[in-house]
Order: sequence, then C-alpha cells, then structure tokens
Amino acid sequence: MLSPLLSAFGQAGGRRITGTVVNAASQPVAGATVAVKGTSAATSTTSTGTFAINAKTGDVLVVSSVGFGTEELKVGTGSVVNFKISEQASRMDEVVVVGYGRMRKAEQSSAQVSISAADINKTVNTTVEQALQGRAAGVYVTQNTGQPGGGISVNIRGVNTIGGSNEPLYVIDGVQIQPGTVQYGATASTSPLSSLNPSDIESMEVLQGPAATAVYGSRGTNGVVLITTKRGKSGALRLGYNYLYSLQAKPTILPAMNLQQFAQMTNEIRYIAGNGGQGPGEFRDPSILGMGTNWQKELFKTSPLHKHQLTLSGGSEATTFYLSGEYFNQEGVSIGSKFDRASFRLNLDNQTRKWLKLSTNLSYSQTDEALGSTSEGLINTAITMAPNVAVKNAQGQYAGADETNGVSVQYTPLNPVAIANLIQNTLKRSNALGGISADITLLKGLVFRTALNGNASWSDSRYFSPNYQLGNRAASIASLSLSTGKNTSYNLNELLQYNTKIDKHDIGAMVSHEAQESRYSGINGSRTGFVSNEVVGLSLGQAQGQQNGSYQGSWAMESYLGRLNYSYDNKYYVQGAFRTDGSANFGPENRWGYFPSVSAAWRVSQESFMKGISAINELKLRVETGLTGNQGNGGQIFSPLNSVGTPFGTGFLVGRYGNTALKWEQTRTDNVGFNLSIFRNRIQVEGDFYIKKTNNLLLPNPLPAYMGTNGQGAISTPTVNIGALQNKGYAFTVNTVNLDRSGFIWRSNFNISSNRTKITKFYSDVAVIDRQPWYIGTGSTASQGFLQRSAVGQQPWLFYGYVYEGLFQNVKEIETSARPTKSDGVTPLPVDPNGTWVGDIKYKDLNGDGIIDYRDQTIIGNPWPKLTMGFTNTFSYKGIDLSVLLTGSFGNSVYNFTRFQNTNPNNINLGRNMLAETFNYAKTEGTGASTVLTNPGGIIPRLTYNDPNGNAQRITSAYVEDGTYVRIKNITIGYNLPKAIVSRTKVIQGARLALGVQNLATFTKYKGFDPEVGAYVGQNVGAGDQLIGVDAGRYPLTRVFTFNLGVDF
Amino acid sequence: MKRISYKNLLSCLLLVGVLAGCKKDFLDRKPEDTIVDANFYQTNEQVLAGSAPLYNKVWFTYLDKPSYGIGDGRGGTLFTGSQQIENIRLETKATTSDVYESWQSFFNTVGQSNLLINNLTKYAGPAVAENIKQHAIAEARFMRGLAYSYLTMNWGAVPIITNNNTLLQDTTIARNTPETVWEFIIRDLRFATENLPATALQKGRLNKWAAEGMLAKMYLTRSGVGVSGGTRRQSDLDSAKYFAKRAIDNSGASLLQSYEDLFLMKNNNNAESMFSLQWKYDGGYGAGNSVQAFLAFGSSITGFSDGWGGDVGASKFIMDKYEVNDKRRKATFMYPGDHYSYIHNAVPDPQNPGKQKVVELDVPVNSKDAATGEQYNSRAWVKKYVVGRPEDNEGKVLQQNTEINTYMLRLADVYLVYAEAVLGNNASTSDQLALQYFNAVRARAGVGAKNSITYDDIYNERLLEFAMESQAWYDLVRLYYWNPSKALSIIASQDRGGYRIVPDKVVGATSWVIKEDPNYNLPRRLSVTSANFFLPLPAIELTKAPNLNKPPVPYQF
Repeated sequence: MLSPLLSAFGQAGGRRITGTVVNAASQPVAGATVAVKGTSAATSTTSTGTFAINAKTGDVLVVSSVGFGTEELKVGTGSVVNFKISEQASRMDEVVVVGYGRMRKAEQSSAQVSISAADINKTVNTTVEQALQGRAAGVYVTQNTGQPGGGISVNIRGVNTIGGSNEPLYVIDGVQIQPGTVQYGATASTSPLSSLNPSDIESMEVLQGPAATAVYGSRGTNGVVLITTKRGKSGALRLGYNYLYSLQAKPTILPAMNLQQFAQMTNEIRYIAGNGGQGPGEFRDPSILGMGTNWQKELFKTSPLHKHQLTLSGGSEATTFYLSGEYFNQEGVSIGSKFDRASFRLNLDNQTRKWLKLSTNLSYSQTDEALGSTSEGLINTAITMAPNVAVKNAQGQYAGADETNGVSVQYTPLNPVAIANLIQNTLKRSNALGGISADITLLKGLVFRTALNGNASWSDSRYFSPNYQLGNRAASIASLSLSTGKNTSYNLNELLQYNTKIDKHDIGAMVSHEAQESRYSGINGSRTGFVSNEVVGLSLGQAQGQQNGSYQGSWAMESYLGRLNYSYDNKYYVQGAFRTDGSANFGPENRWGYFPSVSAAWRVSQESFMKGISAINELKLRVETGLTGNQGNGGQIFSPLNSVGTPFGTGFLVGRYGNTALKWEQTRTDNVGFNLSIFRNRIQVEGDFYIKKTNNLLLPNPLPAYMGTNGQGAISTPTVNIGALQNKGYAFTVNTVNLDRSGFIWRSNFNISSNRTKITKFYSDVAVIDRQPWYIGTGSTASQGFLQRSAVGQQPWLFYGYVYEGLFQNVKEIETSARPTKSDGVTPLPVDPNGTWVGDIKYKDLNGDGIIDYRDQTIIGNPWPKLTMGFTNTFSYKGIDLSVLLTGSFGNSVYNFTRFQNTNPNNINLGRNMLAETFNYAKTEGTGASTVLTNPGGIIPRLTYNDPNGNAQRITSAYVEDGTYVRIKNITIGYNLPKAIVSRTKVIQGARLALGVQNLATFTKYKGFDPEVGAYVGQNVGAGDQLIGVDAGRYPLTRVFTFNLGVDF
Repeated sequence: MKRISYKNLLSCLLLVGVLAGCKKDFLDRKPEDTIVDANFYQTNEQVLAGSAPLYNKVWFTYLDKPSYGIGDGRGGTLFTGSQQIENIRLETKATTSDVYESWQSFFNTVGQSNLLINNLTKYAGPAVAENIKQHAIAEARFMRGLAYSYLTMNWGAVPIITNNNTLLQDTTIARNTPETVWEFIIRDLRFATENLPATALQKGRLNKWAAEGMLAKMYLTRSGVGVSGGTRRQSDLDSAKYFAKRAIDNSGASLLQSYEDLFLMKNNNNAESMFSLQWKYDGGYGAGNSVQAFLAFGSSITGFSDGWGGDVGASKFIMDKYEVNDKRRKATFMYPGDHYSYIHNAVPDPQNPGKQKVVELDVPVNSKDAATGEQYNSRAWVKKYVVGRPEDNEGKVLQQNTEINTYMLRLADVYLVYAEAVLGNNASTSDQLALQYFNAVRARAGVGAKNSITYDDIYNERLLEFAMESQAWYDLVRLYYWNPSKALSIIASQDRGGYRIVPDKVVGATSWVIKEDPNYNLPRRLSVTSANFFLPLPAIELTKAPNLNKPPVPYQF
C-alpha cells in the first residue's frame, strides 16, 4: 500500500519549470505540492502560488493541496506550467500517516481523523494539544487551566482507565511520548508537550479505531496522536517570517462584596458571635466607607503575547531541509504567570543512493514558565481577600490583614498581589529530540528501514519564598527550593516492508522489532534562613535544616509487530496486525502482552453497480476489531521501602503493598464506520460507532484505612487488575464546500461526538473508588471535602453529596422535616438558633430515616458531556478569507466549588470576603415559633457562628451547575496582499495579514469564570488525585485579540 | 508474482536478528531509588532502621491535629471558636476530620508494625542477631499494642489485624469486642517487656522499663473494662501497681527539676521521659513535630508563615483549676502579659518604620472593651510544644516541623498511675508510697502536699500535669469504663464557653482575672451521653468497609 511513496526513489534531472497554482477563483493557492509523477522530486508553492521545479519534457506534474482535487499536466516544451485546481471537501487519494507507515486515505480501514497545518494555524496555540480542540470528532479536549503553557486534558473516546492516565500516546515523527498527566507539586499545571512549536507541525493524525491503535499495543488504549513535522521540498529556497502579536483581555470579574457590604456583615457576625458585640470601630458606619479594594481587578491585567517565527526550507533533488526557529513569549492575565519558549528545528532528508535514503530530525527547545498564580491558588484568594485591606500601605509596602479583621485574622488570606510578586515559582525546561533513520530499498517493493530516535530533557524548578510582612502575618525566614530533573529515552526500530501489486491484488506486509528504554533522575534541595531576598543559590542559606533528595529509575519495553494488508481492485481491503509487547512494568510471568487486530473496508462506490449513481463519489464501509492495552506505571510489582528521617538515623517504612501478579489492562474495541462523499466530493461524511470493553482494569485497590493505607506513614494500596468498564459512542465529521461561485468559497467542517463510559465491575458490587483530595476542603473542617465517586453501573468520577431542597422558610417547616443530628448520630438537632433554624439548608432525607446524616448523600452531578462538537466555517473571496470556529459541550455538569466556598456567609467570621450574592444571605424576622424569612427565595443560608446545620460544610446539589456551552472559539480574518503590490518590492514574494479573536463569546448558564473545566491542577495535586469538572479557583481563559503578519521572501 | 531474491531477503532478516537481540535482563527493572523489602533486613543496623520510624511518622497524622482535638478538646482543656470546634463542643461526628485522621494513624501504626514483624520473619538474614530481631519485633508489638489502646478507648470495638497481607482481598473482617482487644494489648505489651533490654540500645529507644510502665497504665485502664457495679478489677489494679513500681524502681528515671524545662527541645529524652515520639525536624514532612504550626498564636513566634493558633487556647474549665502558684500554668498556656525569655517574637520596630525587630516574647494583649477600655485577650494561647523560632532552638525549626519530642509516657505519669492503682476501689488512700509519688509531682509544680488522696485529687492532678499532652480525654475514658455516670457528670460540669482573660498589667502581668465573655451566647456547658461518648466510626471507612457494621465478636487468640 505504501508503494507510491516507497518506490519513488528515482531522480529527476531535467530543466527548470516554473508556474503558478490558482483556485477556481484565480486566487493563488499557497502550500500546494507540485511533484513530478513517478519521482521523489517535489516542491510546494509560495504564498503567491508560484513554484519552480526541475522536470523533463514529457514528465507529468501533479499538483495537490489539502481541500482541493488533484490536477495533472504534462510538461511540454515550454518552461511555464500553470494549474487551476478546484475545491473539494476532501480527497481520498491524500496520503496520510498511520502507525509505522503511510497509506492513502481511500485504503484506510480504521477510524482516524486528520488535522492539517492549515487548521492548526487558524488558532493561537501555545501548545500542541490546544490545536486539537474542536477539530476532531471523538476527541474531548478541555483546558485544565488558562495559565500560559498550562496543561490540557485530552480524552479520546472516553475514560479508559480508572487508576492511571487517560491521556493519549503522542508519536512525534515516530517517537513515542506518553506524557504523564500531571506531576505532583508546584509544577502540576504545566503541559508536558509544551516544548513543541505548533507551527512546525505538518499534520496531526488522531488514531481512534482499534486496528490503527493496536499497532501501538500496550500504549494504544487511550488513542494515539501522530504528529508529523514539516519537511523541506526541493526547489527554490523558501524563507518565511511570521509575527504574531496578541492582547489577552482581563477576565470578566466575578462580583465580590464591596467594603460597605463587608463591613456591614462583619458587624452582624460580631453581634451574633459576641466577640465584643460589634465590629471594629472603622466599620461602625459602613455607609461612609468606600468600595474597598477589588482584588480581582488588582490581580488581573491585560497582557501581551508575542511570537516570532523564521523558517527556511528547500533543497536540491537529493537533499531537502526544513529549518525553523521560534521565540514565543506570553504573559499571563494574572500577575505572576508567564510562558516563554525558544525553539529550533532542523529536518533533513537525503537520497544518498538510488537505494538509500537518510533522514534526520533535530529539535531543541527551551521553555521558561512562572507558575505563581496557579500554584498559590491566587485566583481564589482574589475573591476571598478582605476588601478593607489595601494592596499597599501608606509606606508603599504590600499590606495585609490586621486586627480589624477580628480574632480570626489568621484566616484572612495573604495579599494575593503581594504573593504573586513575592513568591518566585519558575520552571525551566529544555528538550532535545532527534533521530536518524535509513531507508534501504533491497528490491523493488522491499524496503528495510531502521531508525534510532532519542529524547533528552532537563527541567529546573525554583521556588523561593522571601521574607515578608503582610499585615499581621510575617514570614521572617526566607526559603528556597531547587530541583532539577533529567529524562533520557531512546527508541530503536527496525522495520521491513514489502509491497507489491499483482494484477488487481495489492499486497503489503510489514514486520518490525522495537526496543525502547527511558531513564529519569533528579535531585532537589532546599534551605531556609536567607538574610537577603536577593537570593541566587542554596549556598547562601543556612546549612542547618537543609533538605535534599534524589530519585531515579528506568523503564523499558521490547516489541515485535507485523501487519498484512491486502486489497483487491481498489474495492476490498483487509488488514491484520499483531503486536506483542514486553514491559518492565510486570513480572516475568505476565510480562508479555499480545495485541491482535483485524479490519476490513469495502469501497462500495468502486463497484460497477454504483457507476450510474454519479452523485456518490465515494462510499466506503469499514469494520474493525482489536485489542489494545495499558501498562500503567512502573514499579507496582514491588514493595518498596520509603526512607524516613529519625533521630536514630534514616529509617525505613514499607511504602506500598507490592503485587507480583500484576498484568496488562486489556481493551477490546469493535468499530464500524463509513466514509461518504457526494456531489463531486463537495460533501463528505465520516461516521464511526464503537464499543470498547476494558478488562483487568489497573487500579489502586481501594482498601479501607484499617489496612494502614491512608495518611502519613501509610502503606499505599496495591495496584491490582480488578474491574472492568465499557465505552460506547459515536463520532461524525461532515466536511462540505457549501458555495463555490464567482470566486466566493464557503467551506465547513462539522464534527460531533458522543461517548458514555460505564463501570461494569469492581472487586465487589458495593465497592467504590473515591477521589477526595485534602486540598479542596471546606474551611475549618475539611472532613466534608469534595468527593468524586466511581461505582459499578455508573460513569466514573461523579459528584457526590446531599440534595439541596432550599432554605427553611419557617419554624413549622423545620419541625416537619428531617434534620441533621447531634453528635450522638441519632437525635435531631433542636429547632432553635443553636440547632437547625430558619434560613438553614434543607437537605433531602434520601433514606427516609427522619434524620440527615452521611447516608443521605448520593450522586448529584456528572462531569462528562453527552455530546461535544466543533464547527468551522471558512469563507474566502479574492485575497480575503474568514474563518470561524465554534466549539461546544453539552450535558455535562460543573461543580462550582469556587462559588460554594465563597458564598458561605460564615466566612465573614474568618475575615474573608465572598461573592456579592452572599450579601443576600437568609435573614429572619419574628421570634420563637413565628420566625420567618424576610428574604425568601434566596439560596444563601443564614449567618451563624458555629453552623450546627452544616450549611457551609455539606456538599450539595445547589452548586452543581449546567456546564453546557457553545463558544465562538476563534474568528480570524486574513488578507493576502495582491501579487501586483507585492511583486513591486522585489524582495517580498508574498505577504499575509490576519486579525483574529479567540474566545470571543461563550454561551452558557454557568456562573463561574468559564464552563470549560478540565482536571483540577492546583498545588499538591497528583495524577491519581485529580478532580474532573470541578471549578476550584481555576485560571480563567480570556478573550485574545491577535494580529498576525506573515511574509515570504 | 515476481521472484524475490532470497539472498537479499536473508541478509535483511539477519540484520533484523542482530538488532533485535535485546539483552535478557533488558526488561528486568528493579526500583533504583528505593530499597525493596525482600533485599532489606540483612544486618542488625537494617533491622533497627526498619523499626525506627515506628517512633515518629506512623503517629504523625494523629499528632498533627487529633492529638489535641480529641485528647484535649474533647477532654475539656482546650477552647477555640474554629479549628477544633466540633471536638470542643462535643459534636464530634462520623465526618469530623479528626475521627478519620486518628483512625488512619493508629491503623498505620498497626499495619507498619505487622509488616515489620512479617518481613523480619520472612527476610531477616543470617547476619542479624537473634536478640536484635526480637528487639525489633518487641518494638513493633509495643507500638501495635499502644495503637490498639487508643483505638479501643476511642471507638470501643475495633478489628484486630495481625497480618495485613492475608487481608488484602478480605472484605469480611468484623470488629472485636473491647474485652478481647484489651487482652490483645496486654499480650503485646507483655511480649515487649520480655524482649526489650533493660538499657535502651539508643537514647530514645524503648527499654524493658518503659514497656513495663506502659503495661502498668494499660492494666490500670483495663481494670475498669467490662466490670459492673462501679468496682474495678482488683487483679488488674494489682498488676498495674506491680509493674508501675518495677518501672519506677528500675528505670533510673527521675522527675526533671523544673516542669517548664520538660518542654524545651534541648531536653528531649531527659531523665523523666520513658517513652516519647522521636521527631526529626528535617526528616521530611511527617517526621517532624507539626503541632507548633497549629497552636502557636502567630507567625511572629514561629518565624515562618505558620502559627495558625490565634484562635486556640486554654478552656475556662482548666484555667479555673490552676492554683495561683502552680508553675505548670505558664509552661502550658500563655496568659496576656506573660514574659518568655526563651521564645522570641518579631514585633514592629519603632526605630525603623515598616521593619521588625526580634525580641523576647511578651505575650501581647489584643482586645479592648469598647465601653470600659479594659484590655484583655479572648484566648489564653497554648504554650506547651510551642517552642518558638529557629534561633530559639539551635535552628531546629522549619515550617510545620520542630524537633520537640511528644511525651507518651513520663515518670510523673507512672507515679500517678501507681497512686491510682493503689487507690483502686477505695474512696481515699494514705498509702505512704502513693502519697510520696503523688506529692513529688505536686512539689515540682510548686503546690502543697496532700496527706490523703481521692480519685478526684488524682484526676485533677492529671489534668493539670498533662494538659495539652493528649491525656484529658483518655483519663475520662478510663473513668467511664467503671464509673460512666461520674465521667459524664464531670464533662457536663466543664465550662466550655468563651471568656476574657484580663491581666493586671499589659507587660509583666502577675495576676489575671478570668471571666465569662458577656457576648458569648452559645451554651457554656455541654454534655455527651452513653450513646455518643465514644467516637463514631469514620463515615468514609464505613462506605469502604460495610463489614464494620457487623456486631463485634471476641478475638480468637
């Protein structure tokens, strides 16, 4: 199947032919490939649609470009060949990258979605994953944080595993990179793929079907994203410069209480709690106070983003190259965040001999991030910080809370603007990725390919907390923590490929062996007691009390794989593949896993009986089934000992229950799909339906705490193969050319997908796996912390809590309702202000036992959408083009934890501010049994001192909000300068200007900053601890205005 | 089909074969940065390194907050309006964080002790001396027994676990009756007394006499378990007396002259300490003592941004118990205007506006009555285990980490255990030795001797001697076992309400007036009943292990 490419090793020679490629509207087509048929000679058009290539008289030139049909013209005696090509929704003869090879789109029998460079360049993408959003059906992309360079959750066809990562495998130019979802600690929010410059990407292929992913065996279950970087084409040297400038707007501020409201409420709680009976003197008459500090306004700013990119590509017949350099600089909209990247890439191909082709890829990048605002939780702090505190005091120093905030002044947060400026949390990463490969053609059709690829990355993180005085809070001892990490990996692959065509039989066979190894190590150290805040290194701190540590480890995998393709008459296609992986993650008896797959396709449209139906250009039916795996994390078979400092010397505690019998997690996927092109390929539809069944789920056995599994000094639960889950879903993509008339072209891409995950088995039917991280507790008693539950028969990670039934309106209602109990767990609270009272929350008594306790909790929300969609419309006329991308997510809930936390009126007792709606907390009139609410209809409970009813402690359905949204993700309008103008300059060959807006508008009922909430990535979050769909002070995405200038020289 | 050149194909396959040859051990990857259990426990040093963390980290989650939340908050010696309010107000619920955290910590101690015993049996090499192996097993059984004493005193019936590995797939285990849990505890501690050396291998490690002292306390507590008619079991009282006496006579321990000195970090493992948790301030999170972070009234006395205890202080109940001359008061709680020369405080420097200077601590007076101008504090902040800034402690302080050991058993405790065992079921005693020990504790505190002692005398003495040492609650449990109505009436009599403490002088105060806060409008006196005297099982645990709802069964020894 790979014959068109692999056999194309002939050299062309001949004379220089030039020409232009234009579309039906006679507008130049940039980036179209012009090739000499039957040879490897190829070039691409400039931004003005011109090309130059060497060819002989009688050669056939072939022009192709994404979104157009192909055209062929024979070279005559002249030296100019001009093409006019027409718009098409898609082309079946496009060659796409697949696992361990390439094939024509027509031949594909597995579900796969392609994203081209043109698509990617329409949006402003800091990192690669962002470019996927809205582009591919079946791919659910959510941005975990709006922080520059921040991480993204990418789920392909649902949740595949409960215990480990659900992120896909990324394969960059053949090198497999599986990003760990999230690292623990202050750098948790960063993206592992942020080192790759999205502008260097030629195409991304999202492999979804089992036949496509099974060739990646034990790493393919979560889907595979194949990334191919740009390569040079022979012909004229091409020099391009691109400049992008963006302005990121401030987020829409969530209204918080102003100083007058804050003062009034402080007076009220002082009266209720009785600490002196009244608020501080300054608050005595709130009406004479100003509005106070609006901390969100102080923390957020409008921030710029710059990107410079220079590319040089070209080459001779034998050698082609692509060279690019980029500098990217983004400041965050929150003080204390930024992302910088400098990267460089060289891709080189050389047809050394007729039978030998050598290729190399080299890339190096450096990123520099400031993570202060996410790691310190400042977005939330900006809501909770008291408005009576100024940003700076009279002396011009950062201010903080003082005694006016009462006895609980210690609970008033630290000045977020000060912390953003004072805490230095930076992460620098360098990444070198490179490889060399040789293609040896042994016979016609028989190619041996060997490739050695390596990746080395280093990271340096630095966390410095200087000494500071913020109001009554002083940190007089500065501390510095440094850590460096190093990762190296290599991948050695040998592959033998044979293709032949005998009459109408196309046969391809591939066998391959692969060995991969990675090593990681790191050291960290910290010291305290720096005398100056101008700290440069650890050695300036005190040696006493210093802490240091190191880690290291390695992983290896060896694989054998093979694939057979057969097709008959371009009508019937069958493919079978088999892979076996041996992974270091398992003991000898369970080490090897076996991953077979088969698929078939029938191009109905090629049948003779279809010839009469001219409306249908292509109809292909596909069916496939296969096994993929998941190998989880390494080391789970062992029971390691953790070191603990003791006065007797270093001690050791058992760190985890080992499980020597651990084995692969196995997913079987069945998929049927179709491709349909109609009306001269102007409408193309692609659809897939699938069922994935995962068995032997790798997950931490949720042992009770009586097994010593929770808290400090615990023995971590063993990873076991207990449980199963199932994903069912569908995905549709529709590409159309809606209009192509008088030079006006309107194209659309619409994709929609739906997936439902269901847990089908745990170690018992009542077993549940909860995520209840300590880091989002609810104030003084974190015991009621937020909880996400996975249970049999349900989707994973559902919200768990009480059902909110409004506020008690009068005494009678309380008396006739179930109430929380006294501490004996039996007696209902008394109906009085020190028990359950008017204005308290009424919880639903789910088990009908007449009392409210933890047994009355249930599933209250589902973070997974029922449908997700992306919709792109592109309009072009003359040199102007306009592109509009809409993305949407439907039917998911978001737990608005930020709102829950910041509408607790009792926070006033802690000197904390709240969202403005809290000011309308439940107020009563009357006494005794005749007490009623004066402001019925609100949802905020009454103000109490000790909250016996647990209003602020129980997670309720009141804060489960509809996360459905439709977003105008991007609008870009571009203008290609007319050739007449450009050509006058003699220097510039083409120029393009573009203006865009990203995140222009979001249509949603969600009340927080942004309904697009991925995994929670605040400080101290480990991968197994992440909350899904919970908004707990998430760094918001904001509107971005961009200006883009591209020049070809 | 075209003919393939077999020569070419063969050479190609050969090439594949050559490159494919991964080394046999390519896929064998042991952890490189940690030791694996099967390779450890090969020398005496390794065995002792295996038991060393049983002296600190496994207890950490209990120490961190529940130790004072439950131990003192429920016991009536602590007051706060926030952090520990559920415990203070006796509203500890199945969802109160201290319930789950203390449960975790005790079972971590049990689990790690079990795994150590198991691993020593399985992996200990021939180079390990038999007495060292038994020493480590004895340490593990001591810790396990002690953890079970906390478990049963808090929850009553709890599941006894001796082999965690066999339970990995078991979801049927039931709780065991308190009587059998106590028998299990006694057996563990007896094993420890028989296998620990008379002289500790290292300073701070357990020895035989520490184990006997602890055993005495366990017997004393058990003497009330399962009895009826308000009479404690005499055989247990006798055992308590016997072992307490042996521990006192043979341990070589002596009371430290100054009570206040007990709580200086430099006096870790002093002559009075028999068993204390061994913290390491720079041993990583969980290996250091963290209570200062939550109890110190502000960051100005810790040096770091911790010091979150501004809302935490003595209860009015305990403050009313101190005699004027009792030296223990100042070592336990900070009254406004107190001066501490060995703790420093960062205060604004009037010479240098905007800067601070570090001076000896004069406990600040923060509040002022708007009407009368009277200056007061609404909390008498905690002093015990609050050790101050790094410079006060030879640098051994980091954020949330200090190195002051936590007393689990000190000689004064054994003295009072002896006195209580002698008193036994009598209304009072004038036993000479009991009086001698009892009065030694009082003399050191600077309060007068008694000629005859009753249960109330001992209870009061223990309250004052061990306030903020996580004892008050367990003293009530010990009483509750044999005289529940008395325990409940003590609780109901405690003043757990807000107060004002008014010093005679703002600096260098010498006397204080402690009065009810006129604006405190919650009930000052609270009660528990026999229905909620013990702690509820943690709610999260019950959802994971519904088997804990089964009725308790006797443990089969």
